[in-house]
Formats: sequence, structure tokens, C-alpha cells
Amino acid sequence: MGKKDKFTYIIGGKAGEGVKKAGTAASNLFTKMGRKTFQMDDYQSLIRGGHNFSVVTTSKEKVYSHYKKGDLVVNIDDRSYKKHKEHLADEGVMVYDSGETEDEEGIGIPIGEIAKDYTKPDLIKGVAGLSILSVVIGLNKDELLDQVKNEYSKGVEENLSFAEKIYEKAEEKIDKRFELDEGEEQMPVMSGNESISLGAYSAGLDIYIGYPMTPASSILHFFASHKDELQVMPIHPENEIAVANMAIGGTVPGARVMVGSSGGGMALMEEAISLAGMSESAVLFVLSSRPGPSTGVPTYTEQGDLNFALNQGHGEFPLIVGSPGSVEEAFYLSGEMLELSWKYQTPAILLTEKHLSESRMNVSLELSENGWAEAKKSSSKEGEYGRYEKTDDGISPLKFPPSEEVIKWNSYESDERGITTEDPKEIKKMHDKRREKNETLIFDLQEKETVNKFGDKGPIIFTYGSTTMSVREALKLADIDARIIQPRYLRPFPVWELEDHMDEEAIVVEQSSTGQFATLLREKCSIKPKTVLRKYDGRAFEPSRLADDLKEAIS
Amino acid sequence: MSEDLGTEAENTWCPGCGNFGILNSVKKAVKKLEDRGLGKEKLLISAGIGCHAKIYDYLDLSGLYSIHGREIATIQGMKFANPELEVIGFGGDGDAYGEGLSHLIYAAKRNSDITMIIHNNGNYALTTGQKSPTSEEGFKGPSTPKGSPDEPINPLTIMLSSGGSFVSRGYPGNMSHLTDLIVEAVEHKGFSLVDVLQPCVTFNDTYEKYNEAVYELEEPAENREDARKLALKEEELPIGVLYKKERPVFHEKVYPERNPVKDRIDKEERVKRMKDLIEGK
Repeated sequence: MGKKDKFTYIIGGKAGEGVKKAGTAASNLFTKMGRKTFQMDDYQSLIRGGHNFSVVTTSKEKVYSHYKKGDLVVNIDDRSYKKHKEHLADEGVMVYDSGETEDEEGIGIPIGEIAKDYTKPDLIKGVAGLSILSVVIGLNKDELLDQVKNEYSKGVEENLSFAEKIYEKAEEKIDKRFELDEGEEQMPVMSGNESISLGAYSAGLDIYIGYPMTPASSILHFFASHKDELQVMPIHPENEIAVANMAIGGTVPGARVMVGSSGGGMALMEEAISLAGMSESAVLFVLSSRPGPSTGVPTYTEQGDLNFALNQGHGEFPLIVGSPGSVEEAFYLSGEMLELSWKYQTPAILLTEKHLSESRMNVSLELSENGWAEAKKSSSKEGEYGRYEKTDDGISPLKFPPSEEVIKWNSYESDERGITTEDPKEIKKMHDKRREKNETLIFDLQEKETVNKFGDKGPIIFTYGSTTMSVREALKLADIDARIIQPRYLRPFPVWELEDHMDEEAIVVEQSSTGQFATLLREKCSIKPKTVLRKYDGRAFEPSRLADDLKEAIS
Repeated sequence: MSEDLGTEAENTWCPGCGNFGILNSVKKAVKKLEDRGLGKEKLLISAGIGCHAKIYDYLDLSGLYSIHGREIATIQGMKFANPELEVIGFGGDGDAYGEGLSHLIYAAKRNSDITMIIHNNGNYALTTGQKSPTSEEGFKGPSTPKGSPDEPINPLTIMLSSGGSFVSRGYPGNMSHLTDLIVEAVEHKGFSLVDVLQPCVTFNDTYEKYNEAVYELEEPAENREDARKLALKEEELPIGVLYKKERPVFHEKVYPERNPVKDRIDKEERVKRMKDLIEGK
């Protein structure tokens, strides 16, 4: 039995064959062993057929990316086998369904034939993954069956029987074993979208409103499925325009509301983002990107919406844009952004990508660490309240109904009381107020951690969002000395943190075909990168390949 | 909060505009509602964009002056966040029957507990009199100088087909009737629509036509089919409640007892619930 630290498991098949679930079952198994995992699900925009696969990489230490080459590759259909043939690591084990594939390289197991005897012969095939994985990493049958019970709660008897049969076949046919050490600490495994949801929840979220759009839909599903435990009201209305406007309406009585979508849905919400800016409504928008423009590639990843996020809304108003660099950070950033949005009574956009939203990894969260979203309270005497009172910091104290005071919010430019105005002095005053609010926000951000820096020597690599995870993994893999600089906030842009690096030779890594992030660095901080590594094929960077490219860029 | 519900804003509606009758009816209705136990501090209003929407500035009531067609979504958000508040949205025909029609249909469908008052004047008056969703075929305006080629929609039949649980029509030429109608609409638990036949003296003066055609209904129709027949009448125009039937409201279907802002779970309890969720309890 060969000892192994980093181990990658790939399972592929058609949609409807339980592939994604098989990946989740594997990452949960590694988690139970105290190991750390990173799970990336690659699926297409369809319900049946096509080709789906899940890649789970595990190690005793935290893993920030999946790897392309599998030590164990399980193919439920022939298409998977053909596709993943080149994804087998040296010394790896290739398994296919002997009823689907005929080949001498690899091990055939009659998955489909055994599955025929069960009520759901397609869906049950995914269970085979856990059986084969258990054999390969040396778990005994009881350990496997325990895990099957935990993971596949529907139709337990059939699943157990099927899992056992596959286990026996696999044990007979596969000689090779990998010994995976137990890890030191069990850490929960969750997706980026779950982490975003919990982060906002911890800071006081009351309502989540969403219209389905991959890769943001799972936030809506999360709150809907936990509506009783968490008591966050889930709402799925007629379209994204209703989503955003309901959210703004919800803030008037004081509800903390978050909404989410991908680029197309966000475009529909843009009218409301301006309204939020003008009326001073605190709404947290989650923009989870997929490759665009337009419908683009719905279930894949890209960072092509950076400029779109930064420039949301017509007119001038304070807008907060942040992007988390790991699944863990998503929890803290969404909490902090909900808090900031309320503190400054202005919209905030949490920008992320499919690669973070839907990938799962182990996290260690301080659940009580986040703040609590509150608005500045009013101490005005009776009859004196003005919704848009001009203050030194630009922030007007807020009152909620029912109140004896009249609280008038407005989409028009208005006076301090909230009555519509066209008076030049009032117009200028309110513009000044919103600008001063933005200045206060910038001042506040200067005291916060707006930028993450990893590493203390070597050349500088600028990156942001989910790409940060790929860069961190690549540097660790190839033992490259470099300093990563990752802004958590993109608007207001933390120039004060980056100015020192103006003259250094830097590398930029991003998933955009035109290099939007590199342009932003140039515009805001005059940073002139010597190399910009871009990837825009819908797939996240792969650490081994990225490590090679980084080495070349550095040399 | 001023006693007469008025504000310092200068009224800029044209003299003789049907909106004055609506404004006065709303003020009287709010007084009546107060007498019947609904404090005006518990009332929130919103409006779209157009001549109708100026009513927001003329009423000393809390709320949010929304954007074109979206006030329907705005007031639903208010209601869901704090169901103890009553919400009234003011919309125009271009606003609620055009730009925001999908919101109106869905609000009726899910039976959100809101009241929408539509100032239906058959044109886009604030933008100088273009045709609207309810303009007659042949209507002449700056975007259709030779007459509108398309036929008007019938908003009442749309609302009846969308599950509207209170569908009514009012006329500012009969203010006491309109006042009582608004009171009844606000008190109705569920989605209420008050379509107001509003003459526009500048671009679509319908006073004469309405004065002749309008008649008061004695009681709502027995069923949606009969209500549809009333809504489709063209020579005579019935005002009053065409259809009214209570059914469960959206926010109570999601949480029968809960008020999201009043029953907010505190931080400590949230941490506990997250822990339980993560540990799979």
C-alpha cells in the first residue's frame, strides 16, 4: 500500500447518474477522516445526458484547488472514460463500466449491469463511486456501508445492497491501494454560496430574495430549505426587477435583505441599484459570475463582470463592491458587507464567480466573529425628523415605521425631509451629502482589512476573487516564493494599500479575456504589470499548469 | 405628521385634474381608517413615476417614492418585512398596466396583502400625452400623431384572471364613493386593486363621457365570470367592487405567525442555529 498525501478523485457520468452527489459523498468522507478537501463540480446546462464530472482533491493540509489529474478516476459512462483518459495521474487507477467501455487500460466493473436490478438504475450508479473509492483507500465494508447510510438517505436498503455488490467486485479486481492518513481536525465542508449565506445570516439577515440563475440559485435554495431553522424569509418572485425592488421596499421597515443573481439578472436589477443609491437603501447584492456576455456559458466560471459590478447604476452614488478570495472569506466578507451597507445606507455588491460559489472546501469559521448590521439611529425631537438630514459624515439617521414622524424616502432628488425638489441649492446639497458619505466610507475602510497579502518574499502577484485560491495552491505546489496581493474590496478601491507597489515588477492573474483587473490596477494605482496571466475558457486555473506559467513569468 | 395630511409641496397638477379628486378621497379614507382603528403611523405609501405619483409629495405619510411600475414590488417588500403595516401603492396606467404589469399580475396571483390605486387616465400625461396601455385605438399623441394603431387592454379582466381577490373601479367624480371604496380596499385582507377612471383635462378629457356612463354597483358579482361581464361593459361603466373573495395571503403562507423585523432572532441564537446546521443536527 502506497502512502499518499495529496490524492485526487474524479468521477464522471451523465446528468441524472448521481455524479455531483458522488463528489459530495467523497468530500464528506475525506472530511470525516479529518482531512481537507476541495471539490469542483463540472456540469452542463441540462438535466439529463451530457457529461458531468466532479473532482475532489484531498490532503492533510488545506487544499485551495482541485487538480486535473486523478489518482482514482471512475467513469460511469463511456464518454467520461474517453474524456478522462488523459486525466489519469502516473500510477493512478482508472475504472470504467465494463458494460459501456471496452479497453485494456483500466479496470472494468459491471456497474450498469448490477444497477439494472434496482428501482432507479441510472441514479444509483453514482453510489458505485463511494464503493470503489473505499476499496482504493483501504476502507472495510462496514466503514463503507456506514458512510452510504449517511450520504444516501433515500432508498437506503437498495443503496446499501448496491454499494456492497460494487465493493465486492472492486475488491476482487483492483489491486492497487492508496493509504491516506487521517487528518488532525475535522472541519466542516461547505460551498461558497453556503458560506456567503451564513455570513449574511450571522450579521442579521432577515429576508433573501432571488430569481433562479446559475450559479447564484443555490443561495435561494439554501434559504428555502432552511426556512424553519434559520427563519430567513425566502422569496422567489416574478423576475429580477421585482427581486431588487422588493428588497428596497423591505429596507423601509428595517429588514436586512440580500438578493442574488448572475450577470443577466444583475443587468435587470441595475435600475433598482440606482434607486437604492438615491433612496439610500441598504441592500446586499450577490453577483455570481459565469462566462458572458449574455447567456454565455451558464454553468462555468469567469471574471468577466468586474467592470460591470464596479459601474453598476446610472448616476453618482456610493457603491461598495467586494470579492472574497476563499470559501472561508466569503463568510466574513458577506457579513461585513451587509454591515457596511447598513452603516452607509447604500447598495453593496458581493462579486464572486461560479468557481467559488459552487466549489466546496473545508472551512474553520468563527461564527460569532461578524458584526451586526445596524443603521445610525435618530435622536431628533418630535416633528424635526428628516429622512435625508444633512450631517457632517453624510450619513442620515434612520427611523423605522410605525413612527409618529413622517419618514419619506425618495427616488427623486429631494430636500432633507424627502420631498421632491428641483432647486439647484438642494440638488447640490444632496450630491455633496452622498459624496461626503462616500468619503466617510473610504476613511472607515482604511481602518479595515481591505487587502489580503500572502507570502513575504519574492515577486508580487496581483489577483482577486476565486482566482486567489488557484494562485495560492499553485505557489504551494511548486514551492514558489512570491507575494500575493488580493484586494477584498474593489470599490472603493484600496489605493492606500497598493501605492507602495507601484514601481515593482508584478504579475497579474485573472479570468478575463481582456484583463479587466490589470486595467483597474493601472488606472487606480499606476501599476504596470509585466505579465498578465489570463484564462477564459470557462474553467478555473489548474494549479500544476498555473505553477509552470508563474515560474516562467517570474524567471 | 400634519393633521390634514397635506405637505408643504406645491401642487402642480393642471386645474380640474382628476387627481385632485383622488387625493381628497385618499385623505378622507385615511381619516376614516383612523377612526376605524388603523393609525396612520402604520400606513406606508409608494408611487410610480408620472402625474399620479406626485400624490406622494402631497401626502404627509411615510413611504418610498419608487420608480416607474416598480411601486408594486416596493410595497410588497414593505409588507413582507413588517406585516403589521398597511401599504398602499399609487400607480398610473402606463406605470402599473405597462412597465410594471408583470408585478401587478404576480401580486394578484400570490395574493400579497397590498392595495394598489391606479390613476387610469388613458395617456402618459407627464411626458406630454403619449398613448398608454388603456388608450383607445386611434388615440392621438406625440408618438402616434395619426392615431394609435393598437387596442387598449382591459386591466380589470386581467386582474380577475390573475387571481385578484378584490377587484374594483372608482371615479373621482364621485368622491364619497371613491373614499369608501379605498377604505374597503385597504381593509380587505389580500390583494386589492382600485382602478380609478381619471379624466386628464389636458390630454384626455373624459369627464363628460364618464359622467354619463358611470353607475354605482350595489354589490360585488357572485363569481369571477360575472365580474368579468361587468368589467367588459363599454357603454355603461360600473363603479364599486366588481369581485371580492378572501383567500390566504402570501406572507402568512410563508410564515403563518412571523414578523421578520419584529421577531428577529438575536446574534447569539443565530450562532447556535448555524452551529446546529453545520453539525447536521
